[in-house]
Amino acid sequence: ILDNTEYLYKMCVFESFPIQSRQKQKKLLHTGMSKFTLILTSLNLQVLDKCKIFSSVSLLVFITFSVRSQDIRNTVGNIPMEWYKDYPHIGYDLDGKKLFKPIRNKDELDEFLDKMENPDYWRTVQDKMTGADIRLSDEQVDLVHRLQQGKFGDVNFNEYEPAIDFFSNEVMIHPVTNRPQDKRSFIPSLIEKEKVGKLVHAIKMGWIKPRRPKETTPQYYDLWAKEDPNSILGRHKMHVPAPKMKLPGHEESYNPPPEYLMSEEERLAWEQQDPEDRKLSFLPQKFACLRAVPAYSRFIHERFERCLDLYLCPRQRKMRVNVNPEDLIPKLPKPKDLQPFPTTQSLVYRGHSSLVRSISVSPSGQWLVSGSDDCTVRFWEVSTARCLKTVEVGGAVKGVAWNPNPSICLVAVSYDDTVVLLNPGLGDRLVCTASDQLISSYEEPEEVKDQLVQWAVAEGEGHEQGHRLILKHPKAVRQVTWHGKGDYLACVMPDNGSSLQVVIHQVSKRRTQNPFRKNKGLVQCVSFHPIRPYFFVATQRYVRVYNLIKQELTKKLMANCKWISSMAIHPGGDNVICGSYDCRLAWFDLDLSTKPYKVLRHHKKALRSVAYHRHYPLFASGSDDGSVIVCHGMVYNDLLQNPLIVPVKVLKGHTITHDLGVLDVTFHPTQPWVFSSGSDGTVRLFT
Amino acid sequence: MSQVQARFFTENKKYLVDDVPFSIPAASEVADLSGVINKLLEANHDGHKHVEFDFLVRGQFLRTKLANHMETENISTEEVVEIEYVEKFTAPQPEECIMHDDWISSVEADSEWILTGSYDKTARIWSMEGKAVMTVAGHTDVVKDVAWVKRDGLSSLLLTTSLDQTIMLWEWNSERNEVKARHCCRGHAGSVDTVAVDPSRTKFCSGSWDKMLKIWSAVPTVEEDEMEEHNRPRKKQKTEQMGLTRTPLMTISGHNEAVSSVLWMDAEELCSASWDHTIRLWDAETGGQKSTLTGNKVFNCISYSPLCRRLASGSTDRHVRLWDPRSKDGSLVLLSLTSHNGWVTAVRWSPSHEHQLVSGSLDNVVKLWDTRSCKAPLYDLAAHEDKVLCVDWTENGHDLCCYRVSSMI
Repeated sequence: ILDNTEYLYKMCVFESFPIQSRQKQKKLLHTGMSKFTLILTSLNLQVLDKCKIFSSVSLLVFITFSVRSQDIRNTVGNIPMEWYKDYPHIGYDLDGKKLFKPIRNKDELDEFLDKMENPDYWRTVQDKMTGADIRLSDEQVDLVHRLQQGKFGDVNFNEYEPAIDFFSNEVMIHPVTNRPQDKRSFIPSLIEKEKVGKLVHAIKMGWIKPRRPKETTPQYYDLWAKEDPNSILGRHKMHVPAPKMKLPGHEESYNPPPEYLMSEEERLAWEQQDPEDRKLSFLPQKFACLRAVPAYSRFIHERFERCLDLYLCPRQRKMRVNVNPEDLIPKLPKPKDLQPFPTTQSLVYRGHSSLVRSISVSPSGQWLVSGSDDCTVRFWEVSTARCLKTVEVGGAVKGVAWNPNPSICLVAVSYDDTVVLLNPGLGDRLVCTASDQLISSYEEPEEVKDQLVQWAVAEGEGHEQGHRLILKHPKAVRQVTWHGKGDYLACVMPDNGSSLQVVIHQVSKRRTQNPFRKNKGLVQCVSFHPIRPYFFVATQRYVRVYNLIKQELTKKLMANCKWISSMAIHPGGDNVICGSYDCRLAWFDLDLSTKPYKVLRHHKKALRSVAYHRHYPLFASGSDDGSVIVCHGMVYNDLLQNPLIVPVKVLKGHTITHDLGVLDVTFHPTQPWVFSSGSDGTVRLFT
Repeated sequence: MSQVQARFFTENKKYLVDDVPFSIPAASEVADLSGVINKLLEANHDGHKHVEFDFLVRGQFLRTKLANHMETENISTEEVVEIEYVEKFTAPQPEECIMHDDWISSVEADSEWILTGSYDKTARIWSMEGKAVMTVAGHTDVVKDVAWVKRDGLSSLLLTTSLDQTIMLWEWNSERNEVKARHCCRGHAGSVDTVAVDPSRTKFCSGSWDKMLKIWSAVPTVEEDEMEEHNRPRKKQKTEQMGLTRTPLMTISGHNEAVSSVLWMDAEELCSASWDHTIRLWDAETGGQKSTLTGNKVFNCISYSPLCRRLASGSTDRHVRLWDPRSKDGSLVLLSLTSHNGWVTAVRWSPSHEHQLVSGSLDNVVKLWDTRSCKAPLYDLAAHEDKVLCVDWTENGHDLCCYRVSSMI
């Protein structure tokens, strides 16, 4: 209020009074400004508004008068009046005389009585500056009310009068102020000059780079110009709408048809179910009228579930690359297309009473020889499974091998430390007699060398049975194998500590040689190359290929397995398969690498024997799990094409006894038939 | 559909019925139809005895309900069905059981005698009653095949082939019960597995493991064939007991594997089956090959029926296959009869019935087939306890001799 008054007062003084009366104005200000009281100013407001139309003199007189008419004026200024609390006076008047506090002798009772009796009590206020009680007039009370309501003190004052913008952009004929322009507006600014100088210097020094030229490239481009129309379609296609809520059905009605209401058992069942398993998430209920329906207690829960549904629903269709695991498997021809191969068990050759360790087929394919732990060697007719001959030997037979040369009829049989060459007397009579003659035509050389092995000619009863030559070895012989020409015979005597593990016999000259000076590990099996003068020696982990003519190591094949059990050479001579006791079968391509070309792990137990077919692209493996697995192993003449290996058939038939299954497998020389001998004392033919 | 119009006919004059269509239930089976025919016959003839009949619908034996059969054979049920009926071939019963103490490799029967070859290196002659009449011993190894050459009166000629690479021609006098080795045919370099006598009974052909076919003369002579001079004394000594040595008239080579079976189609044509998966037809005069039938399994045996002019073959699988030897492309299997579980080791056409054949297999079963019912055999004869290696019919065609590897016939 004071500020307002002051402003008005100032306005009144500066705008309305003529210049010459400035001195008076100052005086007026000096005295009046601080002494305006609330009442005074509020009284003056009306007066001052009207003043504008009065002459300045009269206004001054009026003011002076009005001030004077108020009699006293405290000049202490705007100070806390408590300072005069302990004094009898309350301030000083214009003349410097003390203004004394009025006598206040009214006690509480008087005050109360006054309040009760005086009708103007509510509009009586005490002037703090003078201590006098003042009764407010009606106008003053109105003014107080208006001010309390936040209105302007003047009733007639229009606070929303249109504003007149004096200092606008419109150039007026007459200036708002007539003040001439400053001199400085004509003089270049030194500060600016300094600033410009600094900038120029900075530009010269290169501290500030001149503004880069505007980029001429277009700021906007057609976003969709190059877009693939399919992708747009795709985007539309990809659109996944938010999952819709199921529309409420009859069961959600407040008055569902009776078939929707649950019976007692259904309700019990519903309660016992897990909430996830329930068909309905609520129990349908019946109410007499809609008014009786209570608040839905699961509302928050349901909204939450809905939010979860929306939140967890797929936003986008993910195009997952669907790789069919079967596509990753290399394309192999179907076994059906690889016929012929043995598929069924056709004949069982029964007769042995113990496990049959080794079998061999005559080169003509008419006869089969089997050696067993019951110390016999049996000769069978292949086509009828008839045992034609049984030859007793002095120990459990470890290996039998029919001479591959069709013009010699000899079978090598190894048992204990002995190798016997038998003439079974089967097949062509001429061949049999020729073989006998070949053996009997031997002439003792003049100088007798010490042999590693004792050669003896069988006589007497042994000769009747077919024994022709007996070779006594220093150690137990495990395997015998013939060279393709039928003159050389290799024997394996596994022994870890000696260099005498492999011996090669020449039957026609009755000579024996030990091809190896050093022991390179426990020899498992040996084999002659079918065409070239190579000799394969399989130790526990490696297969060494020796050139017999140059007498040197040609190749060393690493089988990647723990313990090789058997080995077979492809009739073409460039591929070798090795079976091992750790269930693996490794195929080596000698032209390719010294590592296996392929490792097959089809058997569940140790492999005991592997064999190639002489003509058909087949090989077979026999294992302790009692099965023979026949695989198609095509070797191409084209050097660039790798062999094709496809397992075609699992042949089962042998029963497992003493944890041993199939002990030997061999193929028929001309037909796609495979023979297997097992620990159950049988030999089986699969065709 | 409950009724079918059917007309019955038969070729047997004895059982003729009226040639009128009958309405019979579609669900009727063989027994029902047989009852119908018997009723009709009883009505026509007074002294009719009940006869079991078998029924053929368009050349196929009825084995199921008539409706099912017609459905599978695509026969319209709207028309009158022609049903042929024949007297039912009764199940063969083992009449005699001839016990042999070793495996029998071959058997050949004629009207009076049965000739068997055995793994005990002998051949035997049995009477029809199962009595051992004669033992023919002379081979040094297993007898693989036997054949009758000729029987005129009391003396008869017979052939045995053996693993010892020889064929022996014996003369047997049934009155005196004497057997005499007339000739010993040498020339094969492997076991002689099969022999066949030509229809004129003057020649025979043998097939051997050495892949050769050899044609020999079956006429006994008193002169020895030409022999190498230098070892005559030794041979002479042998011939005293073994008969005169004979050499082949002709050798036919062409098979790549052992010859398993040979037969004469007629006087000029030979047929041989081999382990090289082929059946070859040869001209017996020139020894030239006429045609080849190629299978995909080893052939064990073949048989030819002049009645229906078909070849039946048994191979190292479970099927009996029928071939037409006249077909030029040579690989046509007319029909496969599948029911065995092992190698088929023997097949033989019935000499009197054009549709019947018998097969023996390593699964111990002999099966009697009718080619008009190719799905299943007529009868299984499962009396054997071991592998069947050979079967034969007797000449009148009604008795069946099947002989097994086991010591039993």
